[in-house]
Amino acid sequence: MRYILLLLLSLNLFAVDATLKIEKDVEQRSRIALVDASPVVNEKFFKILLSDLKISGHFLADSTHYEGDINSDYLQPALKSKEYVLKFALTQQEGTKLLVRLLKASDATELFKKSYAIPTTNKAPFLAHKAISDINNVLKYPDISWINRYVVFSRYTTPKHSEILLADYTFNYKKVIIRGGLNLFPKWADKDQKSFYYTSYTGLIPTLYKLNIYTGAKEKITSSEGMLVCSDVSRNGSRLLLTMAPQGQADIYELDLSSGAKTRVTRFNGIDVNGKYVDDESRIIFVSNRLGYANIFKKSIHSAAVSQVVYHGRNNNACDAHGNKIVYSSRESQNSFGKNTFNLYLTSSNGSDTRPLTTTGVNQFPRFSPDGSVILFIKHRGYGSSIGYINLASHQSLLFPLGGRKIQSIDW
Amino acid sequence: MIRKIFVATATLSLLLLTGCGQTAPDLDGVDTGKNNVSDATQIAGDTVTIDENKYGNQNTADSANGGKYNSSSDGFQSIYFAFGDYTIAPGMEDHISKNVNVINSAGASRIKIEGNCDEFGTDEYNYALGLKRAKAVKDSLAAQGIAANRMLIVSFGESNPVCSSPTDSCYERNRRVDLRLVK
Repeated sequence: MRYILLLLLSLNLFAVDATLKIEKDVEQRSRIALVDASPVVNEKFFKILLSDLKISGHFLADSTHYEGDINSDYLQPALKSKEYVLKFALTQQEGTKLLVRLLKASDATELFKKSYAIPTTNKAPFLAHKAISDINNVLKYPDISWINRYVVFSRYTTPKHSEILLADYTFNYKKVIIRGGLNLFPKWADKDQKSFYYTSYTGLIPTLYKLNIYTGAKEKITSSEGMLVCSDVSRNGSRLLLTMAPQGQADIYELDLSSGAKTRVTRFNGIDVNGKYVDDESRIIFVSNRLGYANIFKKSIHSAAVSQVVYHGRNNNACDAHGNKIVYSSRESQNSFGKNTFNLYLTSSNGSDTRPLTTTGVNQFPRFSPDGSVILFIKHRGYGSSIGYINLASHQSLLFPLGGRKIQSIDW
Repeated sequence: MIRKIFVATATLSLLLLTGCGQTAPDLDGVDTGKNNVSDATQIAGDTVTIDENKYGNQNTADSANGGKYNSSSDGFQSIYFAFGDYTIAPGMEDHISKNVNVINSAGASRIKIEGNCDEFGTDEYNYALGLKRAKAVKDSLAAQGIAANRMLIVSFGESNPVCSSPTDSCYERNRRVDLRLVK
């Protein structure tokens, strides 16, 4: 009995999960309640607002769905214990309109008021994200504008066929943007999200295109026998890291878009893929099987020396980088088939300060937000798949259920 | 007493070990329709939808008629691989020899060699694995006298499974290289 007790206590000591660290930060977050003043109370929209507040890491949101009048300054007694009250009115006739008022709970002082509108109803989630992002800024919390961004992803439909979609970060809004054929590996081309790169298999060999999502203008970038993936885009958008195989060998190349010059960055008679700019963008991290299994390595773009970044895990076959921060997926079980555990780890470009971000399930496709504060990932568990977010600063995390089709690649 | 402590610790352990991302409210997705983006001060304009169904829509099912485990076309034999491996097994040498004969009787046609993987693997790495398999077949054919410039290799990663049931035999059939003539 004592040994079992000791074992359970030990497990508790080493069980680390991002969400478990939340509670100690609770007192630093603002207590806020939502009051729905819409003509037709909208539970779904309320939950989106609630999710936005939670993932920000700056608010302790009351999950009670209060109702009230948008123009009245009267606050129910139950709301007096909060710091802020957010009143909102959503109307969905001839488009979508949202009016929000942020009140100080103690005396109903109005701190912020703004209206938002779009001509259609399906993009209502973006109104919620924009409103919460604005309120976050009004209260001078660290920026969370990443919640306003599109997620672009590809998913398989039938053999040799896929589609590329846009979504809001919660996946409540989804829209197919390329249908038909086999189109893979979408990657945003610019920070404003006007265009993305993707690999098309419509020709004889894989071809990289750049598509403007507003005009439909499509530009051919390059093509390669074997495989071709745009793995990363430099911060100013002028250089790409590509995995190409012009001689049948998958290596990482850097493409200078202004000159068209390609620099071969890796030379290895195995697998080198998934190049990501790291530090000041003069170096990359990448996935290679040069030790006999997939692992994370680092090298300078213009020199040959390669160094190992990660020293644990049986198969570390996906990574992303932001500045000197690295996130990678590591297989922690050894089943050739069926259920394996893949966990996400955060480390630095010199391999220090490594810590686990997840402890259960199959966690893959880690992607940093543009400001590096949040990590997106796909989680598979027995009952289905979800898209997950981990706020690195607040340790807050959220999961949103995904549909059944298998996601091929994702970017945001 | 110790029994109470045990029960309390076990309960705490269970709670902690199952702790994970907070599941967001289960919300129904909105899946269709044109979109006019958000607040006018934030983003503007409609996004497009490109339909590429007129391209690359060839039926691949008709190619899987060459035998029990063959998804190549034009008389070629598919080559199968072990989990995570890209070396040609001795048992597949016979398929390579048969494919050499098919190529030699195909005139000047070019041959497309398609590398494929099972579903275990993630994005780029799986495509590179499929590529290594296609390259191994190309090198093996070249060693038997087929001109390298007649062969074209492309990796389809895990995008072209021939079966989807969760069985070892199904996974085996997906870890393969298919050959077909370029038409």
